[in-house]
Amino acid sequence: MSRIELRQVSKRWGDVTAVEPTDLVIEDGEFVAILGPSGCGKSTTLFMLAGIYVPSEGEIRFDKAVVNEVEARDRNVGIVFQSYALYPHMTVRDNILFPLRFKKIPQHEAQFRATAAAALVRVEELLERKPGQLSGGQQQRVALARALVKEPQLLLLDEPLSNLDASLRMTMRSEIRALQRKLGVTTILVTHDQIEATTMADRVICMSKGRIEQIGSADDLYHRPDSLFVASFIGSPPINRIEGRAEGGRFLAGTIALPLRGAAAGDVVLGVRPEALRLGEGDLSAMVTDIEPHGREAIYHLTTPLGELRALEAGATPRFAVGARLPVAIASSLVFDRISGRRVAGATLEAGI
Amino acid sequence: METRAFASTSPQRPDWQALADKARSRRRATNAFLYTVLILGSLPIVVPYLWLFTVAFSGRAGASTTVLWLTLAILMPALLGWLGLRASIEDPRRLRHAEWLLAAATLAALAAVTGPHLHADNWRFLWISDIANRLKGETGTGGRYPSVWTAFGNSLFIALVQMTLVVAVSTFAGYYLSRFEFRGRASYLRGLLILHAFPAMTLIIPIFLLTYWVGLLDTLTGVILVVVALELPFAIFVMKGFFDAVPWDIEMSGMVDGASRRQAFFMLLLPQVKVGMLAVAVFAFLRGWEEYVFVRTLLFQKSNWTMSLYLFFMSEDVMGTDYAMVSAIGVFYVLPSIVLYALSQKYLTQMTIGGIKG
Ligand SMILES: Nc1ncnc2c1ncn2[C@@H]1O[C@H](COP(=O)(O)OP(=O)(O)OP(=O)(O)O)[C@@H](O)[C@H]1O
Ligand SMILES: [Mg+2]
Repeated sequence: MSRIELRQVSKRWGDVTAVEPTDLVIEDGEFVAILGPSGCGKSTTLFMLAGIYVPSEGEIRFDKAVVNEVEARDRNVGIVFQSYALYPHMTVRDNILFPLRFKKIPQHEAQFRATAAAALVRVEELLERKPGQLSGGQQQRVALARALVKEPQLLLLDEPLSNLDASLRMTMRSEIRALQRKLGVTTILVTHDQIEATTMADRVICMSKGRIEQIGSADDLYHRPDSLFVASFIGSPPINRIEGRAEGGRFLAGTIALPLRGAAAGDVVLGVRPEALRLGEGDLSAMVTDIEPHGREAIYHLTTPLGELRALEAGATPRFAVGARLPVAIASSLVFDRISGRRVAGATLEAGI
Repeated sequence: METRAFASTSPQRPDWQALADKARSRRRATNAFLYTVLILGSLPIVVPYLWLFTVAFSGRAGASTTVLWLTLAILMPALLGWLGLRASIEDPRRLRHAEWLLAAATLAALAAVTGPHLHADNWRFLWISDIANRLKGETGTGGRYPSVWTAFGNSLFIALVQMTLVVAVSTFAGYYLSRFEFRGRASYLRGLLILHAFPAMTLIIPIFLLTYWVGLLDTLTGVILVVVALELPFAIFVMKGFFDAVPWDIEMSGMVDGASRRQAFFMLLLPQVKVGMLAVAVFAFLRGWEEYVFVRTLLFQKSNWTMSLYLFFMSEDVMGTDYAMVSAIGVFYVLPSIVLYALSQKYLTQMTIGGIKG
């Protein structure tokens, strides 16, 4: 168990910068998720922590000690690769035993620990099989057991659930979370599934193009995003983006002018969460062009003077039909500077518009 | 839904039974055709070998093909009978029983018909070491002959040492080429392929001079090094392909688990490329075992003779008087290759060409 610190850590390959200089502290026993689109440097960050890649610049510290030059095998890190990377020629038992072969552990204790790790992820029935004879979910558990068996001070999970079906994924999410709490091991989970990140982790790190965009709780990222990127990346269906100008306490888009609060000025983007659109209230006129029923809720596609908007409304049966004309109100909104993409703190439309 | 769509294109109801019969008879015809082509195609290869075997075990001085014809007279009907069985019996268990019966009957017939002709006389070269000298005097092309076992030992030595070197070097080189980025890697790979395109014959004179200069002329070591050098480019390429097919994750995972790079290589990577190493080993062994051109040009002493030279000079000197014995030597020469194929074919046929990609 340890506290992880990155100081100005970056990774470049020739002209390609996978990770820009980054500062980050992860507390002892914390569960952190790294969330971001494909190619944003999540795996690279993980591999630097594991010691597979050496950072181009900066310092990685485990409990205050700089570990840049420490080899992967000496870092006592457990890692689950996205591909599981089980050793195909070994049985499940030998796979789980493998990390213990390099520690001076008596044979019977190694066997005992392997069996215990297998029991923890409930694969004790499968110990004599080869990885090729396991289902995807079973392979993933074996990979997890192998990562846990050496009692690592840091557990790295690179998209460990990406190959599972939806229901198994749900189960594994809570299992991993419970396991992490029980063992208290510092854990970093890489994913590009925002629900996975927000449901499992204490803190979520949102990355884009090799930079950390924002670090915070799921609530922070959703309701108080620092940037338009975070606002757009988090949330499904995505936030509605309305381009316009902020001038003299008003938001102007096309023929519409709405009263604005806060210090916004110049070209801005208004972000409105789909559930912040109230159907049948207010005085923005809209027409329903399409409805996607999702069981518990429905997504409405609306044409409004502000452009195409998507609204989310709870309820098993849609209240409006395609083609219906109705008023819409914006219950809450966020304002972003169009050039920098940063959120203008405190700026929002006057409530109830 | 589907029947309606079908009805709209064909006015009457189709006769499913007739369609099924048609498909079945077409499948049978295709199979029969395939088997016929395969059998006819392999006859030109099989018959000479069959002839070699029958003569080796039954021939006496003077040309006689009686046993070959007798054997064929039994084997061909047996083959036709087998095809008939395969076409007519559908139940796999009954088919297997019928096949066993047929095989037993064929063997019994062979024993009865060719049995009286069989003898081991042609194999006396195995226990009479100066057989050639006795048959021909010491005046033939080959002069005084070494024992066949000397030649056998030399061939085995060349083949095994050569195989070991090729497997070891191509494995390490293939790993390096697959895993490490270095300047000139692409042109090195291209060069490897071009090297393989040269016919070895074009190199005979430079190689002769080279071995002379380094003092390896007329040594087995010299031959081994030359054959290794010629075998390596392709072997390296094959091994690189096998390493390419193994994901990087496995090594990385091993190193995070506590293995050094070397341990990861031996414990995790090598087991994944076993089949490739086996393939390279088999082909290298056969190449060394069959080597003729370079042993002919680079070796002079009789004590350095290999099986190929022994067979060559024997056929030069003894053919006229005892070609049945030459056949026996030929069979003796191909036996190790056949044994090797028999042992390794199970693994080699699992090999996918997918393992070989740039
Ligand atoms: N060995 C390498 N050489 C050169 N560029 C690399 C290398 N590995 C990764 N990159 C580049 O670095 C960037 C980040 O890659 P990384 O694997 O960290 O992305 P990721 O966030 O894990 O993406 P994904 O979600 O698709 O797994 C990418 O643009 C990638 O092309
Ligand atoms: Mg990745």
